[in-house]
Amino acid sequence: MAPSTRSEDGPLTAGGDQAAPRPGRAGHQSAPSRQGPQNHPNRADGIGKRSLTGRLWRRLPKGIRTPVGLIAAVVALAWIAMCLFGAQVAPHDPLAQELPRFTPPGSTAWLGTDELGRDVLSRILSGARVTIGLALALVVMSMVVGSLLGLVAGYFGRWVDETVMRFTDLVMAFPTVILAMVTAAALGASLFNAVLAALVVSWPQYARVVRSMVLSLRTSEFVASGRLLGFSPARSIRLDILPNVSGPTLVLASLDIGTAALLLSGLSFLGLGAKPPTPEWGSMVSSAVQHFDKWWLGVFPGLAILTVVISFNFLGDALRDAFDPEAGEA
Amino acid sequence: MKSLSSKRPVACLAALAVVVAVSACAEPEGGTGDKDRSGSASGQIVIDTTFDVKTIDPGREYEPTGQILVKGLYDTLLTFADEDTTKVVPDLATYMANEELTEYTLTLEEGRVFSDGEPVTADDVVFSLERLQGLKGNPAFLLDGVSVEKIDDATVKLTTAESAPALPAILATPSLGILNSKVVKDHGGATDDSDTAEEFLNGNSAGSGPYVLEKLDVSSEAILAKNEKYNGPQKATYDRVILRNTEPATQKMNVERGDSQVALGLSGDMAESLAPGVKIESVPSATVVFLLVNADPAVSDLTSKPDLVKAIKAGVDYDGLLEIAGLGAAQATGLVPSVFLGALDEGDALKYDPDAAKAAVAAAGAEGQPITLSFPNDIDPTGLNMTTLAERLQSQLGKVGLNVKLAPAPFATEIDAYRSGTEQIGLWYWNPDYMDPANYLAFGPGETVGLRSGWPEGANAAIEQLVSAGYTTGDETERQKVFEQWGKAMNAESPFVPLLQPGSNVAYQPSVTGVHYNPVWLINVAGLGAN
Repeated sequence: MAPSTRSEDGPLTAGGDQAAPRPGRAGHQSAPSRQGPQNHPNRADGIGKRSLTGRLWRRLPKGIRTPVGLIAAVVALAWIAMCLFGAQVAPHDPLAQELPRFTPPGSTAWLGTDELGRDVLSRILSGARVTIGLALALVVMSMVVGSLLGLVAGYFGRWVDETVMRFTDLVMAFPTVILAMVTAAALGASLFNAVLAALVVSWPQYARVVRSMVLSLRTSEFVASGRLLGFSPARSIRLDILPNVSGPTLVLASLDIGTAALLLSGLSFLGLGAKPPTPEWGSMVSSAVQHFDKWWLGVFPGLAILTVVISFNFLGDALRDAFDPEAGEA
Repeated sequence: MKSLSSKRPVACLAALAVVVAVSACAEPEGGTGDKDRSGSASGQIVIDTTFDVKTIDPGREYEPTGQILVKGLYDTLLTFADEDTTKVVPDLATYMANEELTEYTLTLEEGRVFSDGEPVTADDVVFSLERLQGLKGNPAFLLDGVSVEKIDDATVKLTTAESAPALPAILATPSLGILNSKVVKDHGGATDDSDTAEEFLNGNSAGSGPYVLEKLDVSSEAILAKNEKYNGPQKATYDRVILRNTEPATQKMNVERGDSQVALGLSGDMAESLAPGVKIESVPSATVVFLLVNADPAVSDLTSKPDLVKAIKAGVDYDGLLEIAGLGAAQATGLVPSVFLGALDEGDALKYDPDAAKAAVAAAGAEGQPITLSFPNDIDPTGLNMTTLAERLQSQLGKVGLNVKLAPAPFATEIDAYRSGTEQIGLWYWNPDYMDPANYLAFGPGETVGLRSGWPEGANAAIEQLVSAGYTTGDETERQKVFEQWGKAMNAESPFVPLLQPGSNVAYQPSVTGVHYNPVWLINVAGLGAN
């Protein structure tokens, strides 16, 4: 923990001082310590000197070294594994209607069977790919769209900034879920449309965060000197700015995965997302509502959603601690 | 400080007093509740149902809960006995029809009176029927093309241009209840759309039925009280009937605990897990759930092939559908439900034959080709979940090689596609408008529902002939034969696949007798007795 040990990060810290970070990779390494807007400069001890990767390496284990963090990381990793291999691990075909209906959890089906005799466990495991996979896709898409708009707005300023940011405000003025519902309903019920609808409501926060970071970076010395050296805006953004906003944006995105999963399964719950018989957690909970005396139908998919949301949030927290020394050590 | 603290005991006493007062107020209600539990000692019966009622003006209502209430408040000219839903019997009148079934002469029973003691006359009948027509409300279609004429004080003649064998059954519909014309006219009643009596009729009743209205709140409860002046054949047993708007799951708990005597809204699954000691009347309802397979090549090249229809008819495992429909459900032997005249026997129903289905799929060249199955997913006719049913169908048809894609949509949007006949395969249901099989002739080629399946006039001459015979045959045994022939031909050749009739499940306390399911008014509250 002692600052002195950080030097062992070796070559990555070569850029050293945050004042120096000019063209090329050097800027990538040390500038973020300067001031992402999400930083709270109320602690002085973490400022500067460390490379991004070095900090990540150092802080991530620390972030999950607490029992809660460790459990969350394990659960999140398990769900990501299920996302990749869930369909293979599942004991039954998630669509096969072969087992007796409404079997309570037991040896026939560990988590019971549903109203059509399908294995609930298999549906949850196969559903991981749908729910988490789409949540990840959604987060990536909104990060790309939002960051791009934020970069452009922040870098070019003036009327570009005004136009983009007022549009962002416009979207943010609507209640998230309602706007997503309206969009999904207008596009028609399908998973793809649900992702589009969720995208409509989730990009603005990225645009805002990235823009405010770019605003402060734009006036920093290394960006100014790059401009003096005759960098085109594209080059300046690529070499000086993008590397410095990517870290905090990734942290924001990781915190967003849980929310995205919740939003998508919420849309499916309302019948605006997954179509039957797709094993989607939200729609599983929705059909369980009609059989609420069969508790296992709703509880297990509900727990799946809960654990995904919580574990990815904790994972995001750990990541944020790693990226953001000032806020992280509390 | 002292004065403040000395006030505290007073406050406590006051609070105590309030508590005592409240519990004292609550006790009498609890008391009657207890009496209810021990049977009919208080002369009151509590019925739980899910409310679907907008008005109980007979000329305007056409919702399930409205039918129950109006049936108790207003007598109709003819009716059906509680136990037999295939045969029309007299109520306020007896009838004679001419040979062509275009003229019905109704003779009023002697001495029947309204709840204010005034006699029921031909004027009341003419007023009530003409009012129903003139209001152009939901039930007005029942008397389309019927003209009403008073012959004398006790006789009314109904005339139609074409023969109308279903008219007696239509006259038994609660919406055609006879109103006290004098009272209704005094409160703004008229036989055209200048009528303003709805509000009055939602707070009072003006009929000759076994009950009178004590209170109606369309969102929470309705209370009927015994009509002391009633002098018809079906005297009320209970002094008061209380209908409460209750969620199905709560209904189940209430009737199990004895908080209510009858629960009307239990799904098949709930009925299966009912506590012992509660009786259940479980019969197939008159709702028929069916598939339409669009015969219009413009909608789908695939579904318009007769082989594909055959494949679906043979590819559905009907018993497998009943498994998910719960208690009381039965396979629909044809489009006419089992409780009506002309319904087919079990032997005539469609049969599951996977080999024949696979052969037909191959003949249609439909193996693996995507076909869309559309259905409304936000309604559950008689407790049957349409999404569950559609998923089961998809799985069954998948086993014989059909690649069915599900397209759920809210009822309000899907109904347009259904009515305009643009669905490839549609999963829908039919509730009878009145208790006569003529209602189902609409599924014929070129008729209302037939067109929804892309089945135009001239598509099947033999069936069309049977349809017109169905509309004109009067003799009961002849009629039955015609409808059976029609039903068999429809099963063999129509683009409709009758699937099942969901169960109607009425749970009730053992103290209640006379619980019988009726396809139109669900339950006759005046027919309920006590032992």
